[in-house]
Amino acid sequence: MNRSSGPVVWIAIIASTCLLLFLFKKILWLVVPFMLALIIYYFLQPATHRLVLHGLSRKAAAAITGGGFIALLLLCAALLFPWVSSHAVGWQVSLARYVEGGSLLLQKTMKGLEAQFSFLERASLSRNVSEQIATFTETFAQHYLADLVVTLAAWLPSLLLAPFLAFFFLRDGRRFTKFIGNAVPNAFFERTLYLMHEMDKTARAYFQGLISLTILDTIALAIGLWIIGLSGALMLGLVCAVLAWIPYVGSILGCLLVVLVAATDFPLDPWMAYGAIIVFILVRLLDDFVFMPLTIGRSLRMHPLLTVLMIFVGGAVAGVPGLMLVLPLLGIAMVVGETVGMIVTDPRLQARHAYARSLRARQAAADLQS
Amino acid sequence: MFLFSKAEDSSRLKQLRALSLFSTLNPRELKTVDGLLHERNFLPDEVIFDQGEEGQALYIIESGKVLICRQGQSALGKIAELGAGRLFGELALLDNSPRVAQARAVEGCTLAVLFRADFLGLLETHAVIASKISLQLARHIGQRLRETVNAPGSQSE
Repeated sequence: MNRSSGPVVWIAIIASTCLLLFLFKKILWLVVPFMLALIIYYFLQPATHRLVLHGLSRKAAAAITGGGFIALLLLCAALLFPWVSSHAVGWQVSLARYVEGGSLLLQKTMKGLEAQFSFLERASLSRNVSEQIATFTETFAQHYLADLVVTLAAWLPSLLLAPFLAFFFLRDGRRFTKFIGNAVPNAFFERTLYLMHEMDKTARAYFQGLISLTILDTIALAIGLWIIGLSGALMLGLVCAVLAWIPYVGSILGCLLVVLVAATDFPLDPWMAYGAIIVFILVRLLDDFVFMPLTIGRSLRMHPLLTVLMIFVGGAVAGVPGLMLVLPLLGIAMVVGETVGMIVTDPRLQARHAYARSLRARQAAADLQS
Repeated sequence: MFLFSKAEDSSRLKQLRALSLFSTLNPRELKTVDGLLHERNFLPDEVIFDQGEEGQALYIIESGKVLICRQGQSALGKIAELGAGRLFGELALLDNSPRVAQARAVEGCTLAVLFRADFLGLLETHAVIASKISLQLARHIGQRLRETVNAPGSQSE
């Protein structure tokens, strides 16, 4: 299909993406599990597809993959719960150790800067920063821990919804397409089917691309951190790769995490932390210029300038959730906008629809005319 | 909303089997195909598709009559009038070339619609079903070709 759109359609696409972001911010409790469910759905879709290829019905294949995934999650939770309870105290100590390690590295860096620049020494930069960090860590539990626990408890039921939603997407996705198709007038039917097919293709390419990108990032970062000798390289790589789902903010958090671990594992060697930062930046560059174009970049067919601008807009409209949601939403809004634009600006389709409506009105009033 | 009763299920499968395109499919295969088909109702004289429009789907007539004609020439440009069980718009299943003629409902009709992307998906997931449909489609196109060649006034060798 010809997919050239004018400026009006593009303005509508960007405006509707912003509006959706604004609305989604208000119903995050539903949007987040829905997005997670989509990720799980597209992650399990190839396996379901393979089972269907081997002769199973779609229902049976969805039950095996979806049910298997839920069972795996439950098993992991059952196994992890006793382990987490027994290690919780140890983690508290480790967390304090990592925060202390990071604070020590910061102090060392500040002192180094003060030695180089006398105006920083006069401003007592190192002392001020250390005092603020100490105050924050001492009052963290008092001020934020209770809120954090309550927020986690409130989010848990909606997050548990995600695998169940994914199971129903796998099982009944086709019926949903039919259901939507039935509601569309005859004149727009073929275009609507095409639109739904394109939307599914875009979302599938985006989410499967995101999963591939996460795996590639994890491997690249784990290899880099393992080479410089950091402990838990694979776990760190995985956490940083998942954090990178949030553009910019996630990368900064990931970098901070890597630096904290490096500074704690090697307190006497600040070059280890700098080395970790270099590895992190190298992997980010590899991600931006090699992995991203190979995975997600292909799915959205967007100009890089528009991508960057929309990420900023997403952040401004809906904060961190906006950063995460803006690209998939824009991708779907693009497909919908371009196709709706084609339908609305096609006078022949409009005329056919108007004619069909007049035929229906005439048929309904047939016995009323004298 | 989504579930059929057993009796409805069986009558629907019989109805599908009566269509030439699906006549070689067994009940299990028919059920799979039924999951992909969309059903549309058209009023007399309603346009189903226009000549030159990009085709995305094949239509099978479940009931009623459909006129295939040159664009906007229902009387003079008549190519064929098709009844229940016949199919049209089949070239859209093979490529996305423009429709070669206009299709209009002659009388109120119910059509089953097979979307091209669904058929291509079927080729990957259910190769046996797709090959049976493809064979029926090839037979249908062959028959059309024979009719065209044997038609009075055609320049056959």
